[in-house]
Amino acid sequence: MKLSSRQILFFLAAVTPVGKLILMPPQLAAAARGDLLLPVLAQLPVQAALVFCVLLAARDGRTLHEMLARRIGAWGAAAVSAALALFLLYAAFVPLIEQKLLVQSIFYDTLPSYVVFAPFFVLSAYLCSRPTAGTGRLFDVLAPLSLFGMAGILLFSVGEADFGALLPVGAAGAGGFLQGARRACAWFYDAALLLPLLGRFDYKKGLAAKGAAAYLAGGAVLLAFLATFYGVFGDIAVIQVFAFAKMSHFFAGLTVLGRIDYLFIFSLAFVMIFYAAMPIQGAVQLAADCLPQSGKWLPALLSCAVNAAMLALLYAFNFYSDRIIDLFTGRLFFLIPAAGAASALLVLLLGRRRRES
Amino acid sequence: MKVKRFFAALPGRLCLFLAAAVVLIFFSNDFGLVDIQKTAIVLAAGIDREGEEFSLTAQIAVPKGSDRTAGGTSSVEIEGKGETVPDCIRDIYGKTGWVPKLVFCDLVLLGESAAREDVFSCLDFFLRNEYVPNSCRLAVCEGSAKDLLSSQSAVDDTSALALSKLFSDAAQKSGYVMTTSLREFAEGYYGVSGSGYMPYLRALPQEGAQTEASGGQSGQKTGDASSGQTVYTAEETAVFSAGKLAAVLPREQTFALSLLHGNVYAGTFGADGETYVVLKEKGSAQADLAAPAVRFSLDVRLQLYGTRDASAPDAIAKSILSPAQRARAEALLRSYLAGLWEQTAAAGCDVLQLRTHIYRTSPADFPAWKDALFSLPLLSEVDVKSVS
Repeated sequence: MKLSSRQILFFLAAVTPVGKLILMPPQLAAAARGDLLLPVLAQLPVQAALVFCVLLAARDGRTLHEMLARRIGAWGAAAVSAALALFLLYAAFVPLIEQKLLVQSIFYDTLPSYVVFAPFFVLSAYLCSRPTAGTGRLFDVLAPLSLFGMAGILLFSVGEADFGALLPVGAAGAGGFLQGARRACAWFYDAALLLPLLGRFDYKKGLAAKGAAAYLAGGAVLLAFLATFYGVFGDIAVIQVFAFAKMSHFFAGLTVLGRIDYLFIFSLAFVMIFYAAMPIQGAVQLAADCLPQSGKWLPALLSCAVNAAMLALLYAFNFYSDRIIDLFTGRLFFLIPAAGAASALLVLLLGRRRRES
Repeated sequence: MKVKRFFAALPGRLCLFLAAAVVLIFFSNDFGLVDIQKTAIVLAAGIDREGEEFSLTAQIAVPKGSDRTAGGTSSVEIEGKGETVPDCIRDIYGKTGWVPKLVFCDLVLLGESAAREDVFSCLDFFLRNEYVPNSCRLAVCEGSAKDLLSSQSAVDDTSALALSKLFSDAAQKSGYVMTTSLREFAEGYYGVSGSGYMPYLRALPQEGAQTEASGGQSGQKTGDASSGQTVYTAEETAVFSAGKLAAVLPREQTFALSLLHGNVYAGTFGADGETYVVLKEKGSAQADLAAPAVRFSLDVRLQLYGTRDASAPDAIAKSILSPAQRARAEALLRSYLAGLWEQTAAAGCDVLQLRTHIYRTSPADFPAWKDALFSLPLLSEVDVKSVS
């Protein structure tokens, strides 16, 4: 069973912005201060164009591996697929660190044991071993949850936001803008997340344009969140690493209503969990496509192995989260945009509109 | 056939069930079970300084036991000392074995000794700590924070809860209490204005005889004035510059500050034996760099609320201010504003965020005016309208 184009649009419009709410806002605030919207404004059209390319390549109707195999043979296809899978696992690392820190800080009120995040990999291993149709149904569930959570958080926070904090525009200068754009790169790889889904949904007329527009619409929500975030926290935004879970706390009505904002926070946290698992799921899918006869158990074993490796890596670098983030957003910032753009353009070149037989 | 199909689908279903259970347990925090016997729920933290040493008094909620006639919250105050605030927390843990849980800490109270130095040497820990809400209230008190937290409140069993009543929404709307949260104060401190404010608390002996505890049932007495019960007042405002206590604004200037912030609704003020109530108001404070001056403007709708002398029923029904009363109210409010500017300018405290306003609207002028700001004259515009 294939995904529907609706599910792809749901993912692009509602799920992708949620993956950028944890560490990216303070990282941007540290680099560009009140100009934190500008680097994102630069990233969004680029990523939307890449989304357009990948969706256009979906006209071919083949999976990425099939497209590659047709052009460069089975071994070449396996090598490129493996490289893309490694890229997705690399891109997955920052969201995993974010999720781990979020769980430890927001769901617990004193410092919990280090292993509390480990069950995430059980869920991830399960998701990775499921057929792609399940992912589509997941988007149907996650999209309304994401909209509900985002709308609630923004509604509860906007009254406390002083949007004047974004003034004067351009105060951070070109240096701040470039630094912000560089740091944001680690969170913009959404087009690459569509690669494993190629051939698993039917291209309908205009889907590429609709996909890019849906991505930009999600980007607009992200910009609204960032503006509210900086409006609420101003000069201390740089230290607000889990802002989406704190912004609504200042809403005066909570003293009467109780912490109903947790409904929105948990909705977004739920969506984030699945978004963080997506690159791993994509990597497993790409690797499984290379296997001669996937069967039922081989992808499951592959999923367990990949997730166990990610778990081991995450805990091996447990005490080096800051350094890893610095590395990904600093010296190695170019890897994600370069690999993301290269892979999207590659599939655009490989993909051909399939003639109806 | 059905049984066979059921068993064929069983692994998938089991996986699904397992995943659902793990997610449920994961999100409901059951992996992080907390032993309540070893946990201290901190309601308020009071910080004092003695030279280079900090002293943190944690007011910890304790159960009242199984006596169903007793309500409310009891508390115990534990003091920890150290070179930093986290050292004090560790000291409390070392002395009691209780893990201080700060997630419910709604008040950080600074003693006068702590407020005289850069308060962020005390607040840094609370800002860094992910488990302390940024919405927790800040206040300064006369004398020692430990003494104030340990005092026996006349209105509640727990002083922190009695103090929280002073910071209620209604108290803020009265115009005589200017509350601030850790987030707001930190934004002022780290922002271009480098200033902030907090309510200044004083403990006063309770006058009169016996008093009932608010949390208790009728008939339960908690003591009397002779046993040292206290009430608290937060009608003064401590203003800070570069994190240090710069001045304490009296209640009239606190009222003026509230009016400029647009906080006042149904707040009252008196003049010549008459009390006026503010029914609607709009205030603003701006630095006008074109005609160098600081402009305070107030647009206030007032009603006569009470007089010392008896009034005719017609006059009571209308409650309208006469032109003389309006002029008197305007003059009074203008004097409050002048006092506020005089005091804050003398203290070098940009409590009205004028620097921030200049930085945002005229960034090129900011370097020239950020220090010269306090030498500007004040132009105050007060428009009082009477409503019946």
